[in-house]
Amino acid sequence: MSFLKETADDVRLVARGWRWGRRAQVPRSAEQWVPPARSTVFRTDWSRRRPAMAAREVAQKAGLEPLFRSQVRTRVEGLDVLERTSGPVIFVANHASHLDTPLILLSLPDAWRRRTAVAAAADYFFDTWWRAVGSSLLFNTFPIDRRGGAMAATPGEVLADGWSLVIYPEGTRSTDGWVGRFRMGAAFLAKEYGVPIVPVAHRGTFAAMPRGQGWPAPGRRQLTIRFGEPLVAGPDENVRDFAGRVKDAVAVLLDEDGTTWWEARRRAAAGSTPDATGPKVAQWRRVWEQTESPRADAPARRLHAWRS
Amino acid sequence: MSRPGFVLEVDDRTPPLIVHEGLGFRLESFPLGTRVVYPPESIPTVPDVEEAIRDALLHPHDCEPLPELLRPGMRLTIAFDDLSLPLPTMRAPDIRGRIIEQVLTMAAEAGVDDVQLIAANALHRRMTAAELKHIVGERVFRSFYPQGQLYNFDAEDRDNLAHLGTTDKGEDVEISKRAAESDLLVYVNVNLVAMDGGHKSVGIGLASYTSLRHHHNAKTMVQSRSFMDHKHSEMHHSAWRMGRLIKEHVKVFQIETTLDNNVFPKPYDFLMKREWEWSVKDQASMLAMRRGLAVAPAKLRHKMFHDLRGAYGLTGVNAGEVEAVHERTLEKVHQQHLVEVQGQSDVLVMGVPYLGPYNVGSSMNPILATCMGLGYYFNSYRGQPVVRKGGAVILYHPLNEGFNQLHHPSYVDFYEEVLAESTDPAVVGAKYEQQFAEDPWYIHLYRTSHAYHGVHPFYMWYWAAHAMDHVDEVIWVGADRRVASRLGFRAASTLADALEMASGTVGTSPSITYLHNPPHLLADVR
Repeated sequence: MSFLKETADDVRLVARGWRWGRRAQVPRSAEQWVPPARSTVFRTDWSRRRPAMAAREVAQKAGLEPLFRSQVRTRVEGLDVLERTSGPVIFVANHASHLDTPLILLSLPDAWRRRTAVAAAADYFFDTWWRAVGSSLLFNTFPIDRRGGAMAATPGEVLADGWSLVIYPEGTRSTDGWVGRFRMGAAFLAKEYGVPIVPVAHRGTFAAMPRGQGWPAPGRRQLTIRFGEPLVAGPDENVRDFAGRVKDAVAVLLDEDGTTWWEARRRAAAGSTPDATGPKVAQWRRVWEQTESPRADAPARRLHAWRS
Repeated sequence: MSRPGFVLEVDDRTPPLIVHEGLGFRLESFPLGTRVVYPPESIPTVPDVEEAIRDALLHPHDCEPLPELLRPGMRLTIAFDDLSLPLPTMRAPDIRGRIIEQVLTMAAEAGVDDVQLIAANALHRRMTAAELKHIVGERVFRSFYPQGQLYNFDAEDRDNLAHLGTTDKGEDVEISKRAAESDLLVYVNVNLVAMDGGHKSVGIGLASYTSLRHHHNAKTMVQSRSFMDHKHSEMHHSAWRMGRLIKEHVKVFQIETTLDNNVFPKPYDFLMKREWEWSVKDQASMLAMRRGLAVAPAKLRHKMFHDLRGAYGLTGVNAGEVEAVHERTLEKVHQQHLVEVQGQSDVLVMGVPYLGPYNVGSSMNPILATCMGLGYYFNSYRGQPVVRKGGAVILYHPLNEGFNQLHHPSYVDFYEEVLAESTDPAVVGAKYEQQFAEDPWYIHLYRTSHAYHGVHPFYMWYWAAHAMDHVDEVIWVGADRRVASRLGFRAASTLADALEMASGTVGTSPSITYLHNPPHLLADVR
């Protein structure tokens, strides 16, 4: 009996120490000695073929969507821009949480959602085969290398095949909910392939499920998402300027989401759109501000007038 | 690309860490803030071993190429390190055998007839034929052993010892007569750690008690700080003086080899990895091994560990004049073992593994465990000890393996009679060393059986003298209390208890450093 008990203790110790079921952690003092991840090339072409698309449709509609709606409330605005656009486009959004991807995908009209792929960090989502298969099956992700390197499918090829892309130009989830530095990859792709960029701003995902949290906070937090007017790079506009314009568009959308369209427009015209990177105050105050979920205009609870 | 060693600071993300304890290991959750010294990963090995050996023999340092030293009619003696190196025993073919084969090939080409091979075991036990064969290889063994030209050194064979004189400090130099009277003495070494090699090879490996007593004593060992750093080791200074005297009598062609840190073969390689980088397979291997060890009878556990063969790679081979060679050897050894550690700590934690130099194929008795922990591991430093003066040492070993009557007969008497009276190295040395060294029964067993020399347990105790002098408290975790108390130490059942016991010496929140070896490391304490 004591053998069985000790075995159970050992297994428990290892399960806790090595975080079974969760992502492994490296002690802080050992972080500088972590060898650079080998860029394993997992092919994801299969995930954009018909059988995978069918499986994804079922997984998203029957699994992801009900689950997502049961955990958070969403308010989607600005979808009308998609009616005036024919794909493919690049959706460029701020990135604060793992909820961002399901939020964007499930907010899109079905026809768009089915033809949208998500660029995901190769070193995070594609480091093991099961994570690679899982994420590409459920979210239609394909790997991009945050550190630079060869990949199985380049974003360009996916675009050229007629797929729309979701790209988070920050490259990683925000640590405090505010917008970080935008890299220029998305702007470069849009200019290179002549596709428009649809800026997307969302709020509330950081409050609902920040970095380090594995499940949305209880209480069905409110998320808001707003799609903006498509942006097209001018013939003489360089990538750097275009990327700046995209970032400004996201900032205006965030402003609009928090206030009103009219106020945001006026501030944009006056050049006084609030900085999306947040105020220069103590870190805790930055986090504090972001931990508050946005308020929806719709009432939080269903009216119970008809309850007998 | 191999990563250098480093010092981990235990935080909330650190998984439990492996601590060796005899025929097993445990997973220990260290207090937050504990420093853990990890050895460097294996450095690159030479691409072609045979070519590297050949190149070393043909291009020696401060010496003529080996073929030029060989001529017909000469007396050639090849001495080599015994089975105490490397640890664990190297997977066949042993590097010494590969070198000896090339030396002999050159000797045969030069027409040398008079060749003898001597295992430089000093006062260690005689090796069995199988053990000799493993080291030199089948070809060499078959050519020399049946003719009696491959043998263990016998430090008690008065007729075959030569007294070469005394050093300027009055130390006798008495070594193998055959070696001393050879035209060329080729020494083939395995420089596993920084204390090996140099003048220690011939000057100690082929020496008798008359010679060894000058540096193997409590007074010298307390002044060897540490014996892993020959420039600050009294023992090495003495060996160096002797070596220079030997050089005046016999030409020594030293061949030193350095190995990488590939100590544990698969599937035990998880023991060499950094715990947070363990794959699922590593975790499963560890669990399987731990649970297997828990149910295995002692004999099976012993076999499991002692059958391990190190999958070492050769990182360097140098030949030529002893000191020139040793300097280059140490460079490689340091590259493989050195880890920079900032400052001393109050408590030093070390896990004593199943194997030390003197229990190959044998049991790790309490005296050897002490020597391994307070001797070898404690002295694995350069600069200053990892633990401060007056600090505490916490060791892990059950101290329950008992004594091997074949290999360690004098240890039993040392434990039962000498340690019962005193555990002070200087006191027991002054009172009993001579008696044990000259005991005819121990000498008989040393010469004809496979016993370590009668004086050997004293030497083990002297190795630990510096540590015993330096720290105020030694606590063994998981040890047999009676045994620990006989050794003059205390036992605790867990690390938390040990720290509690040590709090009288180092306070309730001491700084702790854990040396995560094996594989071997050398802490460069600044």
